[in-house]
Amino acid sequence: MKKEKVEYLISLFLSIFAALIIGGFIMLANGRNPIVGFNALINGAIGSKYKIATTLAKTVPLILTGLATSISFRSGIFNIGGEGQLYLGAFGAALVGITLINLPGLIGIPLALLVSAIAGGLYALLPAILRVKYNIDEVIVTIMLNTVAVLLTGYLVNYPFAADVGKLGATEIIGEGYHLSRLVRLSTLNTSIFHVIVITIIMYYLLERTSIGYEIKMVGQNMNFSRYGGINVKRRMIFAMVVSGILCGIAGAFEVLGVHYRFLQHISPGYAWDGMLIALIVKNNPLGVVLMALFFGALKTGSISMENATGIPSELISVIQSIIILFIAGEAGFKDKIKGYFARKRLSKKAGEKNA
Amino acid sequence: MLKEVINLTLLQHTIRTATPLILAALGGLLTQHAGILNIGMEGMILLGAFFGIVGSYFFSSSLAGTLLAVAIGILVGLLFAYFVIDLKSDEFIIGIAINMLAGGLTIFLLRSIFGVKGAFSSPDIVPLPRFNMGFLEGIPILDTLLNNHTVFVYVSWILVVLVYVYLYKTPYGIWLRAAGEFPEALETAGVSPRKMQYISSILCGIFCGLAGVHLSLGYLTLFTENMSANRGFIALAAIIFGRAHPIKTLIAAFMFGFFDALGIRLQVVGIPSQFTQMIPYLGTIVVLFVVAKSQLARKKRAIEGEAHNE
Repeated sequence: MKKEKVEYLISLFLSIFAALIIGGFIMLANGRNPIVGFNALINGAIGSKYKIATTLAKTVPLILTGLATSISFRSGIFNIGGEGQLYLGAFGAALVGITLINLPGLIGIPLALLVSAIAGGLYALLPAILRVKYNIDEVIVTIMLNTVAVLLTGYLVNYPFAADVGKLGATEIIGEGYHLSRLVRLSTLNTSIFHVIVITIIMYYLLERTSIGYEIKMVGQNMNFSRYGGINVKRRMIFAMVVSGILCGIAGAFEVLGVHYRFLQHISPGYAWDGMLIALIVKNNPLGVVLMALFFGALKTGSISMENATGIPSELISVIQSIIILFIAGEAGFKDKIKGYFARKRLSKKAGEKNA
Repeated sequence: MLKEVINLTLLQHTIRTATPLILAALGGLLTQHAGILNIGMEGMILLGAFFGIVGSYFFSSSLAGTLLAVAIGILVGLLFAYFVIDLKSDEFIIGIAINMLAGGLTIFLLRSIFGVKGAFSSPDIVPLPRFNMGFLEGIPILDTLLNNHTVFVYVSWILVVLVYVYLYKTPYGIWLRAAGEFPEALETAGVSPRKMQYISSILCGIFCGLAGVHLSLGYLTLFTENMSANRGFIALAAIIFGRAHPIKTLIAAFMFGFFDALGIRLQVVGIPSQFTQMIPYLGTIVVLFVVAKSQLARKKRAIEGEAHNE
């Protein structure tokens, strides 16, 4: 393994470790025993078949949004609009499921996924075009589009497509044929996990083994160099952004088809943001995304049990997660500072020897 | 029905809903001038709202709440600055991390300090004092419109003027802007761009803290989970709309405050408010587009002009 990779892995583990230690101190400050707390956390995440299944179920949207972030960030175009694309994708899938109710699953599910992919992809295409054609900052545009999508679907689900019974902020239940089968009793784990495995393999292959993936990486690393090297920079950026949107749209579809069986006004508790953090932590490596998504999924599942068993609020987990991301984001800077410190020390030592 | 929506109360509400936007946007435009895009404002507002409640509840004083929120604002501003300026981390990653940290931390503390989920309200929370301009009393429209707001409403207007003067009429303001535009030149002039960026980031933390206090101690004295409700992003929109000029940003914040207030009134009478709520977000994209297009056109003209001269 290359030296930088080893260094990165060391800082990754240090960051996670440090964040968990800080989490332990917060538990202590809260008057709780951290050992009991972490024990409940681990037990809650992987302590039984049901718990493992729940962890895996939580991982599904995180892997998809994490991969979505990876491809866009690799190409140097920053899709912060995953949440909006996810909402539109979820609504698109639900729309198919409530209009063509009687379609058999074999046709219905692929159709719903296709519609959600188109919805998510198109919603990412707009900021991509604004970026490559007019040089408009895609970070700001995608942030703004997030809220627009949440508001738009909020309107649709409360007015034209509201369920008949009550004002739930939800559509009707989608047709039976669209329901992805559940795999473990009581947990929401469903067959979408198999789709996700396939999608992950495709994305890994695309990013690491094809010339497109290589070009995307080049564009992200040095745009001008890539342009002189004959890469169609604009096209690669648009491609990366649209694929990113498609993945987020599909993440939304799986929430509808596999978990809720309908579109809900607040269907995502911020999956795309979590996915983005995951991708950032593992530096956009597709396999790293899977591992980190499993870790985050386990933390999320475990935190609920931890709360029930010890009374420590489950939100402690998002505090720990954001501390990890702060450490990782500051990694390069910390390293420079530490290296600078040692270099200075060595210098002064040398100077001291000379004087002696 | 129209009368229920569009009336004097709507304008009165506009003044009130615009205030946190004005405060946060003033902070954000300072970092913007120093060359930093701060999308952590959302989290900074949320922290301000929470610690405003904490201070006001435990010390039975809205001033204590304000001071605590300002102190936390300074800390978060320092944290942001340390990562972005000293560690050279990506500014928007740190912004997202701060938003996430604020979201988790406030809910966590809400439950560990007050033992409640969702929202916390108590008669022991002291709200911000209201302010009346005596000479306006008795003047029909102006009295309802401009009187009886929290002090922060008037403070925010004064701050707009102060920030304007600071940015454009003092050497500090010139340095701050230079720190964003020509850091090397500033360095040569013997002023540290780093220091100016730190100052802007800390001020942003303070202003966002004040915005949060106005949310939680202003008209309703309560804290609810995620009560900043995208105001940090709308403030960002106002900055882009106003092209980071304090007066123009103020106007944009009023405009967005108006749509916010309109949305609330529409909900009351049962008309969907989602589309009016979208306006700040869509409007920002339109503004970015128009600006970018005119810049492109100018560039094109410049190139054509050069070709013509040859």
